[in-house]
Amino acid sequence: MKRSTFFAFASPSIVVMVALMVVPLLMALWLALQYMTFRNITAPEYVGLRNYIEILNDPFFWRSFNFTALYIIIVVPSWVVIGFIIALFLDQVSGFVRGVYLSIFLLPFIIVPIIGTIMFKQLWEPSGLLTYIYQQLTGVRFRVNETSVKTLIIVFGIWYVTPFTIVVYFAGLQTLPPEMIEAASIDGATRLQKIRHIVIPYVSSLTVFILLFSIMDSYRVFDSVFVLSELNPQFKADTVMTYTFLTAMQFQRLGKSNAMAILTVIGIMVVLVPFLYLMYKEQIAER
Amino acid sequence: MDRVNSRGGRFFIHAVLVAFAIYSLTPFLWTTLQSFKTFKDAFSRVPIFIFQPTWANYQDVWIRSLPDAGSAVGYFILLAAVILTCLMLFARHIPLNSTWIYIAGLVGYGLLLWAIPQMVYMQKYYNYFINTIIVTVFTILISISIGCLAGYSLARYAGMAAVVILIAALAFRALPRLAFVLPYYWIGSLTNLLDTHILVIIALVAVNQPFTIWMLRSFFMEVPKDLEESAMVDGANRLTSFLHVIVPVAWPGIISTALFTLLLAYNEFLLVRVLTQTNWTLPVAISRYTGAEDPAQLTLAAAASVSATIPIIVVILFFQKHLVRGLAAGAVKG
Repeated sequence: MKRSTFFAFASPSIVVMVALMVVPLLMALWLALQYMTFRNITAPEYVGLRNYIEILNDPFFWRSFNFTALYIIIVVPSWVVIGFIIALFLDQVSGFVRGVYLSIFLLPFIIVPIIGTIMFKQLWEPSGLLTYIYQQLTGVRFRVNETSVKTLIIVFGIWYVTPFTIVVYFAGLQTLPPEMIEAASIDGATRLQKIRHIVIPYVSSLTVFILLFSIMDSYRVFDSVFVLSELNPQFKADTVMTYTFLTAMQFQRLGKSNAMAILTVIGIMVVLVPFLYLMYKEQIAER
Repeated sequence: MDRVNSRGGRFFIHAVLVAFAIYSLTPFLWTTLQSFKTFKDAFSRVPIFIFQPTWANYQDVWIRSLPDAGSAVGYFILLAAVILTCLMLFARHIPLNSTWIYIAGLVGYGLLLWAIPQMVYMQKYYNYFINTIIVTVFTILISISIGCLAGYSLARYAGMAAVVILIAALAFRALPRLAFVLPYYWIGSLTNLLDTHILVIIALVAVNQPFTIWMLRSFFMEVPKDLEESAMVDGANRLTSFLHVIVPVAWPGIISTALFTLLLAYNEFLLVRVLTQTNWTLPVAISRYTGAEDPAQLTLAAAASVSATIPIIVVILFFQKHLVRGLAAGAVKG
């Protein structure tokens, strides 16, 4: 394909991405340097880097940062491990039954996250099913407090995204060449040895892929926190995204919240640069 | 992996899978049960599993008041919906051009959606449903049509520009929604576009574009190059050979991508929440039910959630293969 044809075909999409993503980002950079509320939205006041300094000294920002980090540290490995194990089990069934299992397993991932969270929360209402079971098992009343809200946010995070890793690993297992397993069987390898020495190395590129997308998606967690904590400060369960949202929409500090979004962009880019470099080399090699 | 054949092993595998299915389904099943309960049953401290089911919650969510001949109108609407659905399901078996039947069916659904509030006095919730449909349909149309062109050219062009665009798109996909949405909010409030469908659609197309072009590119990569080359030897130019030769071959992949765009648009919460004040879509409307002090909201939230999930379940049932293909596409070829 010629260079000019390429640009002719790709231009609508490039224009959309430049005009609607690059330009807003530059605007966000500029807005982050302003003191702006809903009252002076047409006439923002230039304050330089003061928004950034305020954020870095804001204990609530660091609290939300810590909770987001905790969330990522617990949730991402759980996705990888549970997803891989269930995919191994799913690989053992075939035909119609597999389709039924797959449909059911996909449901939490496909459903609207807000609605999924509302449904999850219904289980933990005072009249909910799991509240009752929890009270029967432990003999303690289920209380909505900081610990329980944070735990529910993390458990929901695991419940909601595991289907994605299941499907990715499952699709990868379908392409595993049977000869590799047969050879190992002839050598007398046990099932666990085969998984350890053949399957896990075979799917390692998928694991990198999953980690990339998991990190991209987990730090942005918003919807489930919005529903489960109701953004109530007493639960101290803000994530970086909900705190940015609150700063903009509730505290009406548009400039400060833009600065927070910019800081998040910088943070995630630092984490992602190795992955992006990996993808870059892969793309170059493909050509 | 080789198959486990021992009887105990098979039993164990199914036990684990069934347990995981229960874990996946419990919130859905419980919420569905709650949505059919009266307040009294729903608030019982000990969960009730056998009760007199009621449609009242669904009616409260959707319908404000029935007209005098309410039941007759209701049956008419149901009948029309059933006929349209049957038409769509069996279109392949009718000896007519099935494309026209699909188009007629979609137009029929549109007319039905327009006609319902003329006959029955609907709740606000129905408007949110219509908003969701408008936003979703336009987002799919725009992002798939420009995404197909870009995805195809990215799959075929070997130069550096393509690599740069792909990596930049991947980086954009990782950025937080709020970094884009807050500038949109600012522009929206300066230009009075806030609370319009246009702004929401533009924003949705923009934030989903990186994902769309990556996914479409992976599907166009699978189409052999000889196809359009032979068409071009026959005298077709790039664009006509793309439209008439490549698109039909890559159609299943385009459907997969469209499905994911549908889900992303239907699911979007944060962006719509910031950019609208009254013209909400379903996720934002439903979130209004939570956090309210009124306990009656609990069963209403259940009914609203279940109704908004039904279209998604229909999508899974009909397009499961496309969904799995889409999820696997980026991963396996990565």
